[in-house]
Amino acid sequence: MNVTSPVSTTAVEATGIWKVFNEGQANEVTALQDINLTVESGEFVSLIGPSGCGKSTLLRVIADLTQPTKGSAEVAGMSAAEARKQQRYGMAFQQAALFDWRTVQRNVELPLELQGWSKSNRAARAMELLEMVQLADFASHRPWELSGGMQQRVAIARSLAVDPPLLLMDEPFGALDEMTRERMQNELLRIRQETGKSVIFVTHSIPEAVYLSDRVVVMSPRPGRITDIVSVSLGERDEDTREADAFYASVTAVREALRGRTSGGAARARVGEV
Amino acid sequence: MNGRLRAVWPPVIIALLFLSAWQLLVVVQDIKPFLLPSPSLILGNFFGDFSLMFNAALYTGTTAILGLMFGTAVGLVIALIAQRFGVVNKLITPLAAGLAAVPIIALTPILNNMFSITSRTPKVIITMIIVFFPIFVNVTRGLIQVQPVQLELMRSMNAQPRTVLRQLRIPNAIPFFFTAMKIAAPLSVIAALVSEYFGGPQQGLGSRIASSAANTAYGRAWAYVVASIITGLIFYLIVLAVERWAAPWTGRARSA
Repeated sequence: MNVTSPVSTTAVEATGIWKVFNEGQANEVTALQDINLTVESGEFVSLIGPSGCGKSTLLRVIADLTQPTKGSAEVAGMSAAEARKQQRYGMAFQQAALFDWRTVQRNVELPLELQGWSKSNRAARAMELLEMVQLADFASHRPWELSGGMQQRVAIARSLAVDPPLLLMDEPFGALDEMTRERMQNELLRIRQETGKSVIFVTHSIPEAVYLSDRVVVMSPRPGRITDIVSVSLGERDEDTREADAFYASVTAVREALRGRTSGGAARARVGEV
Repeated sequence: MNGRLRAVWPPVIIALLFLSAWQLLVVVQDIKPFLLPSPSLILGNFFGDFSLMFNAALYTGTTAILGLMFGTAVGLVIALIAQRFGVVNKLITPLAAGLAAVPIIALTPILNNMFSITSRTPKVIITMIIVFFPIFVNVTRGLIQVQPVQLELMRSMNAQPRTVLRQLRIPNAIPFFFTAMKIAAPLSVIAALVSEYFGGPQQGLGSRIASSAANTAYGRAWAYVVASIITGLIFYLIVLAVERWAAPWTGRARSA
């Protein structure tokens, strides 16, 4: 698996992003207030916070699925809109959003088909990806024949299809049971290791954010803003990581940051403006 | 196969029991044919005059197929337009609902005057209008009711509206289309048949039922009814078969 070398060393640069819904009306909501965030190339960053803190909105601004009211997002050194047009990111959602009328393989091929790849190249690339997510045997199955975890692996394979340098993931494991979830987290880390992608990962789960991330961005609602950024240094993850003291320390740090406490935890590193 | 047999037998047995009870009732109570002919009389007429039955079914079936094809085509085209232009959808949907409330079959005499009563045209038009409604309503819904996350996915992959239509909306509407066709196909036979009651060529099932009953040939009238039922069933089964072949994912649990 080749690593696409990004143009710049910055994967994502969000500058002064505001997102206001129903502006000027009685039901005006400030979903994002002055968000500044830099994600380095190859970095794994989680966005965490309670419902309504704007973490999904921020991801959608970066993906150019919604327009910021103010400010701008850059992906791989270009505007978010341009990055979307050039397919510089792949996206996965909480719902696998597979197409029932396509086989597993043809679901993975979809982004390639939209890019005008030839049939044989598409098939080869799709099989390569299905092998990576260990679903090669299910290539000709239909999505509904797969379990939730398997469907999500297909969705991840699809998001990697055009080999983008960045993955945007919106609670991709949110609907999975705890055991499947932990397996998928390991799977994602392995894939990320193999491909060297940068990842922005939205989640509700503190342990998930800590286990996966280099940095955890803590957000709070009304108005949606970044309140803290917790750096996590756990080194290489394995099965023992989840039971290590350093892991608990980071979980505690994120939890306290979510509660809005400023007392410093062991693994806590206030980064502030990046 | 075993499972399929098990699914088929109960209705067959019930039908046989029902027919036996019917036969028994007519014989024992000595019910006159103009009130209720016995199944044996009806089936005797049906098989005795099979070529008559077949030709009548062919005539009405042809009307139904023409109406079904045109009605479906118009329904599909207008559904696509309604999806593409939200304004059109807001205008057409109430209009279509209004159209559904019009007793269309009652327009047959008027259409018979507008077009030549001796031609098939007025009956095809009636069938077409009746078929249009379920197709239009269902297919429009199928084109519009796409999972928001699938739309976001398509946008994230930089898909243009035409691609979204081809790769997402149309496949999404296919199960809706077949649901509509399962209603529309047998309905087209009924529409074609009933429109014959208002005059015109005498070859069809509707005309034959009416004239047989008028000539006190009750067994034969009922035999034509049997032929009508079979025609409608054939239409339905064809739709079912095409659906299995063309959209094997229909009726499955939707992937989340």
